[in-house]
Amino acid sequence: MATAPGITEKFIEETLAHEQTSLWGDAWRRLRRNRLALASTVFLTLLILVAIVAQFWTPYTYYAEGIAPIYQGPSTQHLLGVDDFGRDILSRIMLGAQVSLKVGIGTQVIVIAVGVVVGLLAGFYRGFLDTIISTVINIFYGIPDLLVALTLVLLLGRSLGIIIFAIAFTQWMNMARLVRGQTLALREREFVEAARSGGAKANRIIFRHILPNALGPMIVQATIGVPMAILFEAFLSFLGLGVPPPTPSWGAMAADGFHAIRISPHIVLAPAIALSLTLMAFNFLGDGLRDALDPRQKR
Amino acid sequence: MFTRGALLYIGQRLVLIVFTAVAVSSIVFLGVHRLPGDALLNERRPDPAAEAALLHYYHLDLPLAQQYVRYLTGILHGDLGESYVNRGVQITPLLLREARVSAEVGAAAIAFTIGLGVVLGVIAAVRQNTWVDYLATTTSVIGYSMPNFVIASLLFLLFGVFLYQWTGGAVYYNSGWTGSWGTLDQIIVPGFALGFPYASIVARLTRASMLEVIRQDYVRTARAKGLTARIVIIRHALRNALIPVVTILGPLVIGIVTGSVVIENIFGIPGLGKEFATSILNRDYNIVIGLFTFYAIIIALANLLVDLLYTVIDPRIRY
Amino acid sequence: MSDLFVGKLRAVRPLAVMGAIGILVAACGGTSTANTGLAADQTLRFPSDSTIGSLDPAQINAETDVELYQNLFDGLLKFDDTLKAVPDIATKLPDISSDGLTYTFKLNPNAKFSNGHPVKASDFIYSFSRAAAEGQDAYGSNFDHVVGYDEVSTTKDWAHNQKMMSGMSAPDDHTLVIKLTSPWGVFNTELALSSAAQVVDPTVVNTDDTNWWATPATAVGTGPYKMVAYTPKQSIQFDAVANWWGSPQPTVQHVKIDFIGDMAQGVAKYEQGGYDLIGYGGMGSDTPIADIIRIKNDPVLSKQLKFVNKVRTIWVQYAFGRPDSVFKGDLESGPAHDLRMAFSLAIDRDQMVNVACANGITCSAATGGLITKGLKGYVGDNSDPLAKFDVTTAKALLKSGDPTGAKTAHLTYYYDPNKAIYKATAENVASQWKANLGITVSLQPVDHATFIKNYTHHQYNLFREGWQADYDHPQDWFDNLFIKAGGSNGGAYTDPKVEDLVAKADAEPVLDKAIPDYVAASKQMMADAAYAPLAYFKGEFLFKPYLQGAGSNNFNDFYWNEMKIGSH
Repeated sequence: MATAPGITEKFIEETLAHEQTSLWGDAWRRLRRNRLALASTVFLTLLILVAIVAQFWTPYTYYAEGIAPIYQGPSTQHLLGVDDFGRDILSRIMLGAQVSLKVGIGTQVIVIAVGVVVGLLAGFYRGFLDTIISTVINIFYGIPDLLVALTLVLLLGRSLGIIIFAIAFTQWMNMARLVRGQTLALREREFVEAARSGGAKANRIIFRHILPNALGPMIVQATIGVPMAILFEAFLSFLGLGVPPPTPSWGAMAADGFHAIRISPHIVLAPAIALSLTLMAFNFLGDGLRDALDPRQKR
Repeated sequence: MFTRGALLYIGQRLVLIVFTAVAVSSIVFLGVHRLPGDALLNERRPDPAAEAALLHYYHLDLPLAQQYVRYLTGILHGDLGESYVNRGVQITPLLLREARVSAEVGAAAIAFTIGLGVVLGVIAAVRQNTWVDYLATTTSVIGYSMPNFVIASLLFLLFGVFLYQWTGGAVYYNSGWTGSWGTLDQIIVPGFALGFPYASIVARLTRASMLEVIRQDYVRTARAKGLTARIVIIRHALRNALIPVVTILGPLVIGIVTGSVVIENIFGIPGLGKEFATSILNRDYNIVIGLFTFYAIIIALANLLVDLLYTVIDPRIRY
Repeated sequence: MSDLFVGKLRAVRPLAVMGAIGILVAACGGTSTANTGLAADQTLRFPSDSTIGSLDPAQINAETDVELYQNLFDGLLKFDDTLKAVPDIATKLPDISSDGLTYTFKLNPNAKFSNGHPVKASDFIYSFSRAAAEGQDAYGSNFDHVVGYDEVSTTKDWAHNQKMMSGMSAPDDHTLVIKLTSPWGVFNTELALSSAAQVVDPTVVNTDDTNWWATPATAVGTGPYKMVAYTPKQSIQFDAVANWWGSPQPTVQHVKIDFIGDMAQGVAKYEQGGYDLIGYGGMGSDTPIADIIRIKNDPVLSKQLKFVNKVRTIWVQYAFGRPDSVFKGDLESGPAHDLRMAFSLAIDRDQMVNVACANGITCSAATGGLITKGLKGYVGDNSDPLAKFDVTTAKALLKSGDPTGAKTAHLTYYYDPNKAIYKATAENVASQWKANLGITVSLQPVDHATFIKNYTHHQYNLFREGWQADYDHPQDWFDNLFIKAGGSNGGAYTDPKVEDLVAKADAEPVLDKAIPDYVAASKQMMADAAYAPLAYFKGEFLFKPYLQGAGSNNFNDFYWNEMKIGSH
């Protein structure tokens, strides 16, 4: 029987459901219309493809030295030229994509894992736990991130895993603060109140109500965190503490080619452009996602 | 502005800074604590007796707790110890000298960041959605997407090499540092390289907050009253739009501190950043600890300055 | 809106103008003096990319410091530019007793310190004893054959407990007598070479035993130059000592050295006229290869480029003492021997020299044994069978040395990347082992200080070793590197045949008679496949055309007091 409270309840549920799906639907539509973001997505997809292909095939082996006269520029056999040891740059750029993507995505995985848990705990339970967590977050914000990462890599050793850890160590609080803010805001919303008064347990509230709504900003934060991590690795490599050779990383290639910039600019330009384009793509995509998911936009 | 409340607040913050410095020092001290005797510069192995003498000289043969107490007393007197690699070089005067060098370049960087950034941001906001806006926005994304060492190398090439060749030596960039104050030409190019990525971020922030402010009612009211566009922008909109810029000053200082590690290396500037890069690679732990302490103090002072600036920008904020 | 736009641009313009003004013109220093052809401003300027470790003779052991101190201090003997040991403060070579145990030196009565104090024989006793006690990680051990050394070298806190070596005595102010415990043919060479054998002024050193050398007021020596300004990690300046007691009298009046991070900037500034030379201070091997290639192709600059063979060799070293090393044991034959030889034969040194040393610019292949070409004890071009490139034999040896491939599956090659050539050769040999043998060796760069410490403590199984000769005598190589007691024998290599040959050769007072034994020892090492030779170093220097008297020999840069700055 269609009683008044029954109809109201159903109406509320449907409106809420509509609100949620239409948020994503709207977002997708807005994203599609953002040309830069679209181009960036295409570029990044290509990049991932290149990284996968590189695992099985590159024009030349990345470590073979002297296959052309050292410092030689682009030619028909070597599209991007060879580096200071006579190694094919195109092959190394392709493999460098793997390192950049691993670093970028690897760090964000840790950042999400740690940041989300910490942020949720702080925002949901508040009180003393929140005070402690917020103090820790603030302390981390006050440290010079690159310097701490450098010191960690120096002390713990130079390997891809440690580098990913060191970078994540200095970036996790961005995600934590974001998730905490989202949790604090969301926990006051009506549907959470409704769920709680209905007797739902904390887990359920978090996973079914808070997390899905915080997902949008989290994705944006992660997308913006990737280029920061890749940039970080480039800095580490430039200062001599990046992934050990002969694994090609774009930052290390740029550092090596830096000295030859006057006689063979292509050695530093290739990785520099690759880095810049990748970072730009992630940044444009992140911006696009943020605009798309912004519920205040009317279009 | 300097009411009794304000001075009390500043006093409290300064005490907090001292505590932070000691805390950071302690953490780093315990974290990177290692033995020296690594300060060999060629392939000869030190004699065990010599190694023992070296450890004794740096008091590293004492138990850790005792070393820590010594170190702590030293810090409270402003003595950060002696370099492991370069015997006889006292760390505190070294870092103070280098801090002054880095401060000069850092100041130039901040000037570029805020000057260039605000200008770009205002232009983009005022000309929203025109080609000017798109150009400015795209430039700024490129600005913070390129590693600063790439920007720096291109600048060094341009100003240090090509301009020298093209003008037959009449115009060029002089790398390095002269005397204790450096010269203007030695500060500008690295300052620009250091500041440009952050200028891009400031430009975006300024643009966004300007756009918000412009739409607000009080601006419309001011324009309706007939004030010229320029006055409206400067007096009303800009002042409020600058608040987020002031907010970013804290992270900006941190960014300049970290960016200087690479930039100072490229341009041969004997500042804290270059010191950090070389000391880390040489494992001169004493200097590394001292540097972290210095940086902690600098960042804390910068944050204090930012908080004080808030009172100037927004009269509603009082301590 | 248009006036607003222009208004904003006006704000931007001062920045651009400031930037333009800020880029200054610098003139090259010095106006010319028509009569003498010399510049009025006799200031020598050059960069160094390493900092000062110490300028205290008892402590000096870094390459840069070794080059610098030679202009600041003097000893009994020194090397001339052709590397012969000649008198310095001594008036002539010492009288040696017939049993080879007593050396008597006559000192130049005119010798004095830069603060005016005359040099006395007792000053030498003080200086040598102090070095023996305090210079254990530098060259203090050069005095280990002097009577009384053992007691003095174990003295702690010598500054407050000044024991002198009993074998040294001063019958009068200008006569010095040194007694040795056993005949030691290289003693003269050691006195000429050793930084520890320089004389210091006791009155000055006693005021601050640790840091006397770091302040201008107390940085006192007998050399033609003295330190007048020192900003640690930034710059250092030396001025000529007025009325210096020796000869030739210095013409160059000021020497300014900048500590820069990267020699590439140094080269750029040199081209702009900011420096007079590049490569001094042991920096000859740090000039970036790309710059050298560019300068070689520049018609004007290429004339300023000079190459000098430096007495440094690098090679791949295997661990003979570590339990987990797959390379240990089997000296002249056996699986480990085959493995070591396989690794060495798989390296095409011509390709390495082309790729890692830019077509032979910065190094040459080490085909004549580990003692650098040009030094006594060099075995001969292409005499080292380990330097051959033979992939077929290498693969066969690999099979016999490691039939299952298990031993070579997880090897790591350690090196320090602080010199470009170390990094270049490391990456090159790794790529060659992979391409020619199918073995993947991972590379582990380690920072210089830790690397040296670790390998001298036998921490690595496979790593780069190297040595720069201190003087032209094979004893310098064998005693430090290839015998069990060698302090820098990072691989803990030892062969009883080599030990015997070296002991015999070391005791022989006449060098030419000892050479055949040293060569035999080298050949034994080759038979043992004790190492995989890589390259001999070359140094690259840039000298401005107006610089007279500048240059470098295999060991050292020419002295500053031999140089003149011409008008330009």
